[in-house]
Amino acid sequence: MSDAKITLSVTRYNPEADEKPSTQDYQIPYREDWVLLDALNHIKDEVDESLSYRWSCRMGVCGSCGMMVNGEPKLTCATFLRDYYPDPVRVEPLANFGIIRDLVIDMDDFMDKLKAVKPWIVREEEKPVSDGEYLQSPAELKEFKQFSMCINCMLCYSACPVYGREQEFIGPAALALGHRYNLDSRDQGNDERAEVVASSQGIWECTFVGECSEVCPKDVDPAAAIQRTKVAATQHWFKSILMPFGGK
Amino acid sequence: MSQPGSYTSSKVYRPEMSATWWLKSRSYFLFMMRELSSVFIALFVLVYLYEFFQLSRGPEAYANLRDSLSRPGAVALYGVAFVFAVYHTVTWFQAASRIQVVRLGAWTMPGWMMLAGALGAWVVISAAVAAYFLGA
Repeated sequence: MSDAKITLSVTRYNPEADEKPSTQDYQIPYREDWVLLDALNHIKDEVDESLSYRWSCRMGVCGSCGMMVNGEPKLTCATFLRDYYPDPVRVEPLANFGIIRDLVIDMDDFMDKLKAVKPWIVREEEKPVSDGEYLQSPAELKEFKQFSMCINCMLCYSACPVYGREQEFIGPAALALGHRYNLDSRDQGNDERAEVVASSQGIWECTFVGECSEVCPKDVDPAAAIQRTKVAATQHWFKSILMPFGGK
Repeated sequence: MSQPGSYTSSKVYRPEMSATWWLKSRSYFLFMMRELSSVFIALFVLVYLYEFFQLSRGPEAYANLRDSLSRPGAVALYGVAFVFAVYHTVTWFQAASRIQVVRLGAWTMPGWMMLAGALGAWVVISAAVAAYFLGA
């Protein structure tokens, strides 16, 4: 095992003692096969047990371990130290969110917005169980599958300057999930979601910076989802005023 | 809307976003340039409309304006506006190829193909228009 070391500059914030966050450097062993989350776990287990951060699955599924790595939002379980070594690595909490402690961010705003777009199948009337499942063809599944891959890691919110400036903005992941359910052949909740999705805090706030899609670890492409929702909302509006009975 | 026991009301540190956020990464900077490009395109359109106005006032007024527009400052403005117009157009086609889904039966056209087709058509049509007016 080599004696190589790497320095992690980690944001520390103790709400009981600190007015604002500061940075603490940790020099730790460098392992070529370590991801950044392994390095943080090493600090927690061997160096400083007071360090706080979120993580769970360690395999890019749970979306818990998102942090700013050298200024870029990344999943730390999928970010290898070898891509930075021998330079030091700066680890900060996800940008554009409040900081609760150290690397732990306040997720409440995101959770509220996620719920507001009703990311579940909405039916005008549920059919009885005896009538069987709501069937769907592979082609219908393909329509929305890409947008259903979101793991709610919030990297997209962290990369979005619109959300950074306007915290009322519903934001990329929630709007992409709204689009995902609007495209689902089993869903009938488009109009209900439009109250939030097509509001002034929804799709129209987005200026298509596009960074949300660049940082997405699951290639969801929320930027495209939002722009496509804009096209659909515009078509819907024209239909509603030009067609007899609002096009219904 | 937050649930009881949430952290919203406790001492959460809320960092401020700097006014120079767009200088912190290449992609943010390019986004701002895309936004800025519309200012130069608007300036070009205003000058163009003013040309029509001067034309309506007679040959002498129009000749004076043409003379003014051939000065280095005006040529520089046209040069910058041209660069921004090209940049805006390319990024617009890039954006359009991500937004628009084109399907032929079960086949979905890949984004790169739409982008290549749009850029190709733009170059060919621009060349044809330029040849028509410059050749005339």
